[in-house]
Amino acid sequence: MKKAFLLLAAAIPALAQQNFDFKTLDKLGAKAKESTNITLDNNTLRLALGFLGDGENSLKSLAGKLKGIYVRSYEFDKPGQYNEADLAPLRAYVKSLQWTKIVDVKEQNETSEIYILGLPNDKLGGLAIISVEPMEVTVVFINGALDMSDIGKLSGNLGIPDLPSVTGGNGKKSGSKSGNSNKRDNDDKD
Amino acid sequence: MNPEHELREALRREPAPEGFAARVLAQTRIPPIRVTPWWRRPATLALAAALLLTLMIPSEISNYRRREQQHGLEAKKQLMNALAITRVQLQQAQARVRRNTRHAL
Repeated sequence: MKKAFLLLAAAIPALAQQNFDFKTLDKLGAKAKESTNITLDNNTLRLALGFLGDGENSLKSLAGKLKGIYVRSYEFDKPGQYNEADLAPLRAYVKSLQWTKIVDVKEQNETSEIYILGLPNDKLGGLAIISVEPMEVTVVFINGALDMSDIGKLSGNLGIPDLPSVTGGNGKKSGSKSGNSNKRDNDDKD
Repeated sequence: MNPEHELREALRREPAPEGFAARVLAQTRIPPIRVTPWWRRPATLALAAALLLTLMIPSEISNYRRREQQHGLEAKKQLMNALAITRVQLQQAQARVRRNTRHAL
Protein backbone atom coordinates (compact mmCIF):
# COMPACT_ATOMS: atom_id res chain seq x y z
CA MET A 1 0.00 0.00 0.00
CA LYS A 2 2.78 2.38 0.97
CA LYS A 3 4.58 1.51 -2.25
CA ALA A 4 1.46 2.26 -4.23
CA PHE A 5 1.20 5.69 -2.62
CA LEU A 6 4.85 6.37 -3.35
CA LEU A 7 4.40 5.36 -6.97
CA LEU A 8 1.31 7.52 -7.24
CA ALA A 9 3.12 10.46 -5.67
CA ALA A 10 5.96 10.03 -8.15
CA ALA A 11 3.59 9.67 -11.06
CA ILE A 12 1.47 12.76 -10.34
CA PRO A 13 4.12 15.33 -11.34
CA ALA A 14 4.99 13.34 -14.44
CA LEU A 15 1.35 13.16 -15.46
CA ALA A 16 0.69 16.76 -14.62
CA GLN A 17 3.73 17.78 -16.66
CA GLN A 18 2.05 16.69 -19.82
CA ASN A 19 -1.05 18.65 -19.03
CA PHE A 20 0.15 22.20 -19.31
CA ASP A 21 -1.56 23.82 -22.22
CA PHE A 22 0.93 26.13 -23.89
CA LYS A 23 -1.89 27.76 -25.78
CA THR A 24 -2.60 29.67 -22.57
CA LEU A 25 0.56 31.64 -23.35
CA ASP A 26 -0.74 32.70 -26.76
CA LYS A 27 -2.55 35.63 -25.11
CA LEU A 28 0.87 37.04 -24.25
CA GLY A 29 1.74 37.44 -27.87
CA ALA A 30 -1.55 38.93 -29.04
CA LYS A 31 0.08 42.32 -29.68
CA ALA A 32 3.55 41.00 -30.46
CA LYS A 33 5.45 42.49 -33.34
CA GLU A 34 7.26 39.23 -33.83
CA SER A 35 6.78 35.86 -32.28
CA THR A 36 8.45 32.49 -32.23
CA ASN A 37 6.35 29.49 -31.43
CA ILE A 38 8.09 26.12 -31.30
CA THR A 39 6.37 22.96 -30.14
CA LEU A 40 8.40 19.80 -30.31
CA ASP A 41 6.54 16.93 -28.74
CA ASN A 42 8.04 13.51 -28.23
CA ASN A 43 7.20 12.26 -31.73
CA THR A 44 8.52 15.37 -33.46
CA LEU A 45 11.68 15.20 -31.37
CA ARG A 46 12.24 11.58 -32.38
CA LEU A 47 11.71 12.59 -36.00
CA ALA A 48 14.21 15.45 -35.67
CA LEU A 49 16.76 13.15 -34.03
CA GLY A 50 16.64 10.89 -37.04
CA PHE A 51 17.88 13.78 -39.15
CA LEU A 52 20.83 14.71 -36.96
CA GLY A 53 24.10 13.81 -38.59
CA ASP A 54 27.03 11.81 -37.22
CA GLY A 55 28.81 15.03 -36.31
CA GLU A 56 25.97 15.98 -34.00
CA ASN A 57 26.34 13.15 -31.52
CA SER A 58 26.49 15.32 -28.39
CA LEU A 59 23.33 17.06 -29.48
CA LYS A 60 21.77 13.70 -30.29
CA SER A 61 22.58 12.28 -26.85
CA LEU A 62 21.22 15.39 -25.14
CA ALA A 63 18.04 15.70 -27.17
CA GLY A 64 17.53 11.94 -27.20
CA LYS A 65 16.60 12.02 -23.51
CA LEU A 66 14.06 14.77 -23.91
CA LYS A 67 10.31 14.31 -24.22
CA GLY A 68 9.32 17.77 -25.34
CA ILE A 69 10.60 21.26 -26.00
CA TYR A 70 8.26 24.23 -26.04
CA VAL A 71 9.40 27.76 -26.83
CA ARG A 72 7.31 30.89 -26.94
CA SER A 73 9.08 34.15 -27.61
CA TYR A 74 7.34 37.44 -28.25
CA GLU A 75 8.81 40.79 -29.15
CA PHE A 76 6.84 44.01 -28.89
CA ASP A 77 7.06 47.45 -30.44
CA LYS A 78 6.89 49.29 -27.17
CA PRO A 79 6.70 48.51 -23.46
CA GLY A 80 3.40 47.60 -21.82
CA GLN A 81 1.95 45.63 -24.71
CA TYR A 82 1.57 42.41 -22.77
CA ASN A 83 0.09 41.44 -19.49
CA GLU A 84 2.54 39.71 -17.21
CA ALA A 85 -0.40 38.06 -15.49
CA ASP A 86 -0.65 35.85 -18.58
CA LEU A 87 2.50 34.12 -17.33
CA ALA A 88 0.77 33.25 -14.06
CA PRO A 89 -0.59 29.86 -15.24
CA LEU A 90 2.89 28.70 -16.17
CA ARG A 91 4.39 29.96 -12.92
CA ALA A 92 1.59 28.33 -10.96
CA TYR A 93 2.08 25.14 -12.91
CA VAL A 94 5.80 24.82 -12.18
CA LYS A 95 5.22 25.79 -8.56
CA SER A 96 2.47 23.23 -8.13
CA LEU A 97 4.82 20.43 -9.12
CA GLN A 98 8.19 19.70 -7.60
CA TRP A 99 10.03 22.29 -9.65
CA THR A 100 12.64 24.38 -7.92
CA LYS A 101 13.41 27.95 -8.83
CA ILE A 102 17.21 28.04 -9.08
CA VAL A 103 17.59 31.48 -10.61
CA ASP A 104 15.46 34.54 -9.99
CA VAL A 105 17.21 37.72 -11.10
CA LYS A 106 15.53 41.07 -11.30
CA GLU A 107 17.34 43.86 -13.06
CA GLN A 108 15.41 47.11 -13.48
CA ASN A 109 12.44 45.97 -15.59
CA GLU A 110 13.97 42.67 -16.60
CA THR A 111 13.70 39.32 -14.88
CA SER A 112 15.10 35.89 -15.52
CA GLU A 113 13.69 32.86 -13.80
CA ILE A 114 15.02 29.34 -14.17
CA TYR A 115 13.18 26.37 -12.75
CA ILE A 116 14.35 22.77 -12.68
CA LEU A 117 12.59 19.57 -11.80
CA GLY A 118 14.97 17.72 -9.50
CA LEU A 119 15.13 13.95 -9.61
CA PRO A 120 17.22 11.54 -7.52
CA ASN A 121 20.91 11.04 -8.37
CA ASP A 122 21.48 14.63 -9.48
CA LYS A 123 19.22 14.11 -12.47
CA LEU A 124 16.75 16.63 -13.72
CA GLY A 125 13.30 15.98 -15.10
CA GLY A 126 13.00 19.29 -16.86
CA LEU A 127 14.05 22.88 -17.26
CA ALA A 128 11.93 25.99 -17.56
CA ILE A 129 13.11 29.50 -18.32
CA ILE A 130 10.94 32.57 -18.08
CA SER A 131 12.57 35.74 -19.27
CA VAL A 132 10.65 38.99 -19.08
CA GLU A 133 11.79 42.31 -20.50
CA PRO A 134 9.72 45.43 -21.20
CA MET A 135 9.58 44.62 -24.89
CA GLU A 136 10.21 40.93 -24.95
CA VAL A 137 8.95 37.80 -23.23
CA THR A 138 10.48 34.38 -23.71
CA VAL A 139 9.40 31.08 -22.24
CA VAL A 140 11.38 27.89 -22.70
CA PHE A 141 10.04 24.64 -21.31
CA ILE A 142 12.07 21.47 -21.67
CA ASN A 143 10.57 18.24 -20.48
CA GLY A 144 12.70 15.14 -20.10
CA ALA A 145 15.77 13.74 -18.41
CA LEU A 146 18.76 16.04 -18.16
CA ASP A 147 22.03 15.91 -16.30
CA MET A 148 23.40 18.93 -14.50
CA SER A 149 26.16 18.92 -17.09
CA ASP A 150 23.54 19.17 -19.83
CA ILE A 151 22.56 22.62 -18.55
CA GLY A 152 26.16 23.69 -19.11
CA LYS A 153 26.09 22.09 -22.54
CA LEU A 154 22.86 23.86 -23.36
CA SER A 155 24.36 27.24 -22.52
CA GLY A 156 27.44 26.37 -24.57
CA ASN A 157 27.60 25.82 -28.28
CA LEU A 158 26.80 22.11 -28.66
CA GLY A 159 27.35 22.47 -32.37
CA ILE A 160 24.11 24.45 -32.70
CA PRO A 161 24.62 27.25 -35.17
CA ASP A 162 23.87 30.74 -33.90
CA LEU A 163 20.60 32.14 -35.04
CA PRO A 164 21.45 35.58 -36.37
CA SER A 165 17.88 36.63 -35.79
CA VAL A 166 18.11 35.72 -32.12
CA THR A 167 21.70 36.21 -31.16
CA GLY A 168 23.01 38.69 -33.68
CA GLY A 169 25.72 36.11 -34.22
CA ASN A 170 27.54 36.98 -31.02
CA GLY A 171 25.20 35.87 -28.31
CA LYS A 172 23.42 39.22 -28.10
CA LYS A 173 19.85 39.65 -29.16
CA SER A 174 19.26 41.75 -32.18
CA GLY A 175 15.49 41.79 -31.88
CA SER A 176 14.76 40.75 -35.42
CA LYS A 177 12.90 37.59 -34.73
CA SER A 178 10.32 36.55 -37.22
CA GLY A 179 6.60 36.17 -36.87
CA ASN A 180 6.64 32.49 -36.22
CA SER A 181 8.88 29.51 -36.55
CA ASN A 182 7.81 28.94 -40.12
CA LYS A 183 8.41 32.52 -41.02
CA ARG A 184 11.76 32.31 -39.32
CA ASP A 185 12.57 29.33 -41.47
CA ASN A 186 11.66 31.30 -44.53
CA ASP A 187 13.88 34.14 -43.37
CA ASP A 188 16.70 31.69 -42.89
CA LYS A 189 16.34 30.47 -46.43
CA ASP A 190 16.54 34.01 -47.81
CA MET B 1 -73.13 -43.06 -81.65
CA ASN B 2 -70.83 -44.88 -83.96
CA PRO B 3 -67.38 -45.25 -82.46
CA GLU B 4 -65.78 -45.10 -85.81
CA HIS B 5 -67.49 -41.83 -86.48
CA GLU B 6 -66.39 -40.54 -83.11
CA LEU B 7 -62.76 -41.44 -83.79
CA ARG B 8 -62.88 -39.88 -87.23
CA GLU B 9 -64.31 -36.68 -85.66
CA ALA B 10 -61.58 -36.61 -83.04
CA LEU B 11 -58.82 -37.08 -85.52
CA ARG B 12 -60.17 -34.54 -87.92
CA ARG B 13 -57.48 -32.25 -89.31
CA GLU B 14 -57.92 -28.69 -88.10
CA PRO B 15 -55.94 -25.67 -89.25
CA ALA B 16 -53.50 -24.10 -86.72
CA PRO B 17 -54.66 -20.85 -85.13
CA GLU B 18 -53.53 -17.57 -86.61
CA GLY B 19 -49.86 -16.83 -85.84
CA PHE B 20 -49.26 -20.18 -84.17
CA ALA B 21 -46.26 -21.03 -86.28
CA ALA B 22 -44.69 -17.62 -85.70
CA ARG B 23 -45.18 -17.92 -81.95
CA VAL B 24 -43.60 -21.38 -81.86
CA LEU B 25 -40.67 -20.17 -83.88
CA ALA B 26 -40.26 -17.14 -81.61
CA GLN B 27 -40.09 -19.41 -78.56
CA THR B 28 -37.50 -21.65 -80.08
CA ARG B 29 -35.24 -18.88 -81.42
CA ILE B 30 -31.70 -18.98 -79.92
CA PRO B 31 -30.62 -15.57 -78.66
CA PRO B 32 -27.63 -14.17 -80.47
CA ILE B 33 -24.31 -14.66 -78.67
CA ARG B 34 -23.00 -11.35 -77.23
CA VAL B 35 -19.29 -10.97 -77.71
CA THR B 36 -17.64 -8.77 -75.03
CA PRO B 37 -14.73 -6.82 -76.44
CA TRP B 38 -11.39 -7.82 -74.93
CA TRP B 39 -10.88 -4.46 -73.23
CA ARG B 40 -14.11 -4.88 -71.26
CA ARG B 41 -13.44 -8.38 -70.05
CA PRO B 42 -13.01 -8.72 -66.24
CA ALA B 43 -9.60 -10.30 -66.65
CA THR B 44 -8.39 -7.36 -68.75
CA LEU B 45 -9.81 -4.86 -66.27
CA ALA B 46 -8.17 -6.68 -63.35
CA LEU B 47 -4.87 -6.72 -65.18
CA ALA B 48 -5.15 -3.00 -65.95
CA ALA B 49 -5.93 -2.23 -62.29
CA ALA B 50 -2.97 -4.31 -61.15
CA LEU B 51 -0.71 -2.53 -63.63
CA LEU B 52 -1.95 0.87 -62.48
CA LEU B 53 -1.34 -0.04 -58.84
CA THR B 54 2.13 -1.31 -59.68
CA LEU B 55 2.89 2.04 -61.27
CA MET B 56 1.24 4.12 -58.53
CA ILE B 57 2.63 2.40 -55.42
CA PRO B 58 6.31 3.24 -55.97
CA SER B 59 5.50 6.87 -56.75
CA GLU B 60 3.28 7.07 -53.66
CA ILE B 61 6.06 5.53 -51.54
CA SER B 62 8.52 8.03 -52.92
CA ASN B 63 6.09 10.90 -52.21
CA TYR B 64 5.61 9.63 -48.66
CA ARG B 65 9.37 9.43 -48.15
CA ARG B 66 9.83 12.95 -49.51
CA ARG B 67 7.13 14.30 -47.19
CA GLU B 68 8.69 12.47 -44.22
CA GLN B 69 12.07 13.95 -45.07
CA GLN B 70 10.60 17.44 -45.28
CA HIS B 71 8.91 16.99 -41.90
CA GLY B 72 12.13 15.62 -40.43
CA LEU B 73 14.24 18.49 -41.71
CA GLU B 74 11.65 20.98 -40.47
CA ALA B 75 11.65 19.28 -37.05
CA LYS B 76 15.45 19.37 -36.95
CA LYS B 77 15.44 23.08 -37.79
CA GLN B 78 12.91 23.70 -35.03
CA LEU B 79 15.03 21.70 -32.58
CA MET B 80 18.08 23.79 -33.48
CA ASN B 81 16.07 27.00 -33.09
CA ALA B 82 14.65 25.90 -29.76
CA LEU B 83 18.09 24.97 -28.39
CA ALA B 84 19.61 28.19 -29.73
CA ILE B 85 16.93 30.23 -27.95
CA THR B 86 17.49 28.19 -24.78
CA ARG B 87 21.20 28.90 -24.99
CA VAL B 88 20.62 32.63 -25.38
CA GLN B 89 18.21 32.67 -22.44
CA LEU B 90 20.62 30.72 -20.22
CA GLN B 91 23.48 33.03 -21.18
CA GLN B 92 21.34 36.08 -20.45
CA ALA B 93 20.33 34.72 -17.06
CA GLN B 94 23.96 33.89 -16.33
CA ALA B 95 25.02 37.44 -17.29
CA ARG B 96 22.29 38.97 -15.11
CA VAL B 97 23.32 36.82 -12.16
CA ARG B 98 26.95 37.89 -12.65
CA ARG B 99 26.02 41.57 -12.85
CA ASN B 100 23.82 41.34 -9.78
CA THR B 101 26.47 39.47 -7.82
CA ARG B 102 29.04 42.09 -8.77
CA HIS B 103 26.70 44.85 -7.59
CA ALA B 104 26.11 43.02 -4.35
CA LEU B 105 29.84 42.71 -3.72
